[in-house]
Amino acid sequence: MRACVVAAMLIAAVVAAGAVEAGPADTPGFTKAFSCSACHGRAGASRADAVPVLAGMPTWYFKKAIADYAAGRRPSAEMEPFSKMVQTLGVDDIAAYFAAQPREPSPLGVQRAASVNGRGVASQCAGCHGADGRGDETKGAPPLAGQPPGYLLNQMKLFKAEKRSPGDANLAAVKAVMKGLDDATLADLAAYYSSLGR
Amino acid sequence: MARITRREFLRASGTAVAVAGFAGCASRGDAPTATSSPNDLAPNRKGRRVVVIGGGWGGATAAKYVRMQDPSIEVIMLEPNKRFVSCPFSNLVLSAVRSIGSLTFNYGALREQHGVRIMHDTATALEPDARRVRVGSGFLTYDRVIVAPGIEFQAEQIDGLTEAGDRVLHAWKAGPQTVALARQLKEMPDGGVFVLSIPPAAYRCPPGPYERACQVAWYLKTHKPRAKLLVLDANQNVISKPALFRAAWQAYPNLEYRASSKVTKVDPSAREVTTDFGDKVRYDVVNVIPPQRAGAIAVQADLVGADKRWCEVNHVTYESVKAKDVHVVGDATIGIPAPKSGTVANSMGKIAATVVVSLLNGRPAPEMPPINTCYSWVSNTEAMAVINAYRIENGKVVQIEQKLTPGQSTLYAQHATAWATSIWSDILA
Repeated sequence: MRACVVAAMLIAAVVAAGAVEAGPADTPGFTKAFSCSACHGRAGASRADAVPVLAGMPTWYFKKAIADYAAGRRPSAEMEPFSKMVQTLGVDDIAAYFAAQPREPSPLGVQRAASVNGRGVASQCAGCHGADGRGDETKGAPPLAGQPPGYLLNQMKLFKAEKRSPGDANLAAVKAVMKGLDDATLADLAAYYSSLGR
Repeated sequence: MARITRREFLRASGTAVAVAGFAGCASRGDAPTATSSPNDLAPNRKGRRVVVIGGGWGGATAAKYVRMQDPSIEVIMLEPNKRFVSCPFSNLVLSAVRSIGSLTFNYGALREQHGVRIMHDTATALEPDARRVRVGSGFLTYDRVIVAPGIEFQAEQIDGLTEAGDRVLHAWKAGPQTVALARQLKEMPDGGVFVLSIPPAAYRCPPGPYERACQVAWYLKTHKPRAKLLVLDANQNVISKPALFRAAWQAYPNLEYRASSKVTKVDPSAREVTTDFGDKVRYDVVNVIPPQRAGAIAVQADLVGADKRWCEVNHVTYESVKAKDVHVVGDATIGIPAPKSGTVANSMGKIAATVVVSLLNGRPAPEMPPINTCYSWVSNTEAMAVINAYRIENGKVVQIEQKLTPGQSTLYAQHATAWATSIWSDILA
């Protein structure tokens, strides 16, 4: 009897060991995407304020961002070279890898008062980005919920200053909203969208 | 202090090893004697084992990524230091913008979350034919070894530097010397001269000395307005981001930069350095960053090339061109067109780990290029960067593009902080 229990435990242990042996290397895209974790966090779950969360990002938006960075439409000293590298390695594999990772909202705290103020302004954004901030591919609107507040604020400032996608007619409405808001209000908006989905 | 016999010392060492998780030595009971053959510090009964020599940016990353990708492989990491102190950002300790504590981490998560067995000891020799690493009087066997030894200083190349001991600091391995140099800077009289000596390339962190110049100059400008920084560079020009650094230095009239000024002698009694042109320069505080080569184990194991300094490796597998089943990553390598930076070491660590896991599982090694980002702080609030992207072409790493930030800014300082936060986790958490 006792031998049976030990044998069963051994089998359970072997099965368990077998289960964990399927490491992340077996996940398609892991090897191509692991360079990104130096800045974007483990499996794209950025814990930093200035760097976006890639985990759970829809493939259509990941690929658009890579194309825009590589072409210089989103000027970035860091992301222009790395986007070209992503394209060389295969953007489809890397986009699919990040889309398959569980979405992990930024852990960075936001002031409740700022978030409440931002909510009041967000009605102008909800038409495309959704009331829940989950985005809408048909409108070309990416998900904003749970992104770090610093990243969201920096992007809004770039839109406002015509430094991101300059001259893009599809973004004229977005930029008009940004240009009508002062930086403190943009920060409130960033706090609100960052707080969603947590 | 009580006198400790050799036998007691060895027994105590054995106990310490057992506490660290190595049953082999202590359970056998007998301490080795001078005449006995070396003992196996951790008999390998499990099958596949990777030994990682060095727990810095490349080694700790490699250890973690082997375990992440195949937990059935045993990983033993040899690292003499109990704590990891980040070299990147350590120039900010000199300017008192950051504390050394904010750059100091432990290896707990590697051990507990990832199951890396860590031995705080030094590899003393490598025996590739026997696939053994010698550690003191014992050895560890391996299936593959990843050597990440960092750098060692060639103090003998500067007259008087070895004899000077702690009176002349390098502060080029972050830790006690960083703190000591910060103290010397703080205690330097207003009106004094700080001399910074930069070695000829190649050395660890190409922009590092120029960032250090910015931090020392910023500190002096802020706290000792009559003091001066003199930079003596063995190279013919600033070797990394020259236009950006020279632009940043416009803010520091207290900084004098002299190219092609190689320090050949230091005399701490006279508080004087001599350059290869015979110029003698008096200092109040001196910081000599000595010429460098691969860490001692790489030299001892003859993994270095004809220059006796750096290790040539296969661009895809990071296997040494001189020894089988021996992979080398990080600052110790040469030939891959990527700088000796923390990001590159981290990148090489991941790639080498993936290669080793693949080969041990009978799969072909994937072809992955490294990446590079080097952020440099030019004041207490602003930074700038160089970025390099690569691809593999015919088995060699080639650069796709190098890009510089258009200038210095607080935004790039935000990015620098984000990078540090993320990459420290990537290495250790």
